[in-house]
Amino acid sequence: MLAFAEVRRAKLRFGLLAGAVGLLVFLILFVQALLGSLLLSFTGALENQSAEVLVYSEDARKNISASVVLPPEQAAVEAVDGVGASAPLGEATVTVEADGDDADASVFGFVPGGPGEPTRLVDGRLPTAAGEAVASEEDAGAGFDIGDTVTVVDGNVALTVVGLTERSRFSVAPTLWVTFDTYAQLRRAANPDAEEVVPSAVALVPAEGVTPQELAARVDDQVAGVDALTRSQAVDEAPGVSSVNTSFQLILALSFLVVAVVIGFFFLILTVQKQFTLTVLRAVGAPTSYLVKALLAQIGLVVGVGLVLGGLLTYAAVTGASAGLPIAVEPGSLALTAIGVVVLSLVGSAFTLVRVGRIDPADVMNRQNVGGLA
Amino acid sequence: MKLGLVELRRKPLRFAIAGSALVLLTVLLLFLGGLLDGLYINSTGLLRSQQGELIVYSSDAKDSLIRSRIDPDVRAEVESADGVAATGGIGVALVGGEVPGESDLVNLSVSGFELPVDAMSSDVSLAPDQALADRSLEADGVDVGQRVLVGAARTPIEVVGWVEDTNYLQQGGFFVTPDTWRRVLADSRPDANLPAGTFQALVVELADGADAADVAEAIDAVTGGATSTLTRDEAVQALPGIREQNSTFSAIIYVTLFVAGLIVALFFALLTLERIGLYSVLKALGASSPQIFGGVVVQAVVVAVVSFAFGGLLMLALARVLPSEVPVELVPSRAVQIVVGLVVMSALGAAVSLRRVVRVDPASAIG
Repeated sequence: MLAFAEVRRAKLRFGLLAGAVGLLVFLILFVQALLGSLLLSFTGALENQSAEVLVYSEDARKNISASVVLPPEQAAVEAVDGVGASAPLGEATVTVEADGDDADASVFGFVPGGPGEPTRLVDGRLPTAAGEAVASEEDAGAGFDIGDTVTVVDGNVALTVVGLTERSRFSVAPTLWVTFDTYAQLRRAANPDAEEVVPSAVALVPAEGVTPQELAARVDDQVAGVDALTRSQAVDEAPGVSSVNTSFQLILALSFLVVAVVIGFFFLILTVQKQFTLTVLRAVGAPTSYLVKALLAQIGLVVGVGLVLGGLLTYAAVTGASAGLPIAVEPGSLALTAIGVVVLSLVGSAFTLVRVGRIDPADVMNRQNVGGLA
Repeated sequence: MKLGLVELRRKPLRFAIAGSALVLLTVLLLFLGGLLDGLYINSTGLLRSQQGELIVYSSDAKDSLIRSRIDPDVRAEVESADGVAATGGIGVALVGGEVPGESDLVNLSVSGFELPVDAMSSDVSLAPDQALADRSLEADGVDVGQRVLVGAARTPIEVVGWVEDTNYLQQGGFFVTPDTWRRVLADSRPDANLPAGTFQALVVELADGADAADVAEAIDAVTGGATSTLTRDEAVQALPGIREQNSTFSAIIYVTLFVAGLIVALFFALLTLERIGLYSVLKALGASSPQIFGGVVVQAVVVAVVSFAFGGLLMLALARVLPSEVPVELVPSRAVQIVVGLVVMSALGAAVSLRRVVRVDPASAIG
C-alpha cells in the first residue's frame, strides 16, 4: 500500500511522531497509574471497611487522622434514631520495626464484628485478641506477612500478623488493623501522659430502611460538633484526595490535548506538502476513499506504534517504581486511554481528512509544470 | 541566521503549529513545576524557616515531628553536647480554626516555639493566647486583630502579626507560646497530651565555628541514642512524601521536556524537507551549511521562547481560576528552569535536521 511505502521512505519523520506520541501515551498512562495507586493508598482503608457512615469531629475537617470523638459526642451519635450498629474506630500513625527496618505505619483500631472492620481480607483471619494485627498484602514482603512480628517502636508493643487485606492501605503507608483494645494499648504505651484514649471516629451501619445518606444527615442535624460522612464521602472528601484528583486530571487533559494537536498538525503539514501529488493521484483515477484510507492507515500506524511504545515504557516504569507506592496499571484505564488517544487523533486529523476528501482532480490542470494554465 | 529571523517575522503563522504544541507543553510543565513547588513550600516552611542548624527528634519517631517527644532530661543532655550554643523547643498541633465571618474551618499548624523563625524579629514575645499567623492565611480570611477559635476546644487566639513561608504539611503556620500549644494539643488530641517542659523536637543553634555534622553526632552520642539529630535540610527531606514527590514530578517534567524536543525535531524535519530547494539555491549563492543550520536553530530557539511566553501567560490565567485546593506556586526559578529546558530541547530537536541541511547539493539548484 502506498501509505506504508511512504512511511518506509520517511522513517525519521514518522519515527519522531510515533516517539512523541509514545512518550505522551507513557505520560498519560503513568500519571493515571500514579493517580489510581495514590488514591487507593491514600484512602483504601476507608473505602474497604464495613461502616457505611463515619462520624468525625467537626474540627477534623474530614480528616480521620485529626479527628477525636469525645465520649459525650459518641453517646449522642449512638442515640440518633436510625443507627443500626455502631462502634468506635481509631486511627494513628506509628513507627514500627518490621523485618529489621523502621517504617511509618497507620494503625486502625476496630471492634471485631462491629462496623469499621476491614472487608478485603485475602488471607488468614481478622484479629481477635490483643497483640494480633491484619496487615496490607502490598507490604507482605517488607516484614508484614502472616506470622511476622511487627513491633510498634513507641512503647515497644509487639503485634503478630494473622491476616492480610488488599486495597486497604491508608495515607500511603503500611496499614495495620487491630482490635480497638489493642489500639488503646498502643496509644497509652506511646504516650504515658495520655489523659484518655478516644476514638478517631464513630463507625455506623444504618438500621433497616434507613439509607447511609439519611443517617449521616440525621447525625449532623442532631449532634453538634461532629461531621457525619457516608463511606464514599469519607473517601472522596478526605484531605488531599480532591486536590490530587483535580491536579492529575488537569495534567491528563493537557497531555491528551497535546496528542491531538501534534498528530493533527503533523498530518496537516504532510498533506499540504503533498497536496499536488494527491491531486495527481485523484486525476489518474484514485478514488477519494483510497486517499482517506491511506491517511487513516498512517494515523492508525503512528497511534498503534505510539500506544505500544507508551505501554512498554509504562510497564518498565511501573516495575521500576514499585518501591514505596505499589503502582499498577488497571486494564480498564489502559483500554480507555487507548480509545481516548485514537479518538483524539481522529478528531485532531479531522480537518486533514476533510481536506483530502475535497481534493479536486481538475486542479491538476492548474499546474504549469504539468502543462496546466496556472 | 538573519534570514531565519526575517522568515519568523514575516511568516509567524508558519511556526504556529510547533508553537501551539509547545505552548500547551509549557502550560503542562509550569503546572507540574508549580504543583511540585506548591507541595514542597507548603509542607516544609516550618522547618525551612528555623534559624538553628539542627533539628533533634526522639530516635523512635522516625524523624516525624508529630510523633517525636523530647523530655527535659534529654534536652539537658543535648545542651551539654560540644558545639551546642542554644536550644529551642518546638511542637506542632495540626488543628482546625474558626475564623470570624468565615463558614469553613481553616487548616492550622499551631506551633509552640522558643526560638524565633526567619520571619520574626529576634526579640519576638507573645502573650498567652496570641499568635503570629502565616500570611498565606490571609486568603482564608485571617487578619491581624482577629480572634481565631482554635482546635477542638475552640480556644480563642488573637492574631497579632504575620510571618512568611512557615506552613507545615499544607496547613497554615500559626505560632503561639509553648503553653498555648500544649493546651491546644491536649484539647484536640487528649492521647497526645504532653507535660510542661516537654516538646516534640529541639532546634539547635551551633557555637561559632562548630560543624553541623559533628555536633549532630555529638548530640546523638551524649543522649545515648535517644535522639536522632538532623540538619535542617535533612529534616526537610525526611518529611513524609517529600523525596517521592520530588522524584516523581521531576521524572514527569523531564519526560515532558523530551516530548517538547521530539515535537520540535519533527516540525523542523518537515520544514527542512519543504525547503530543500531553497537551501540548494542559498548554497549555490554561497551560503554555508553552518549558516543555514544556524538559522534553523535560531528559529527553533525563538519558537521555544515565544511559546514559553504565551504558555506562561496562559498558566498565569489558569492559576487565577484553579480551585484553592490545588496548591500551585509559580516560582521564578522554576520558570527559568523550564524555559532553559525548552530552549535546550528545542535546539537539540532542530539539530535532527542538520544531516539533511549538510547534504543539500548546491548543484541541484540548477536541476
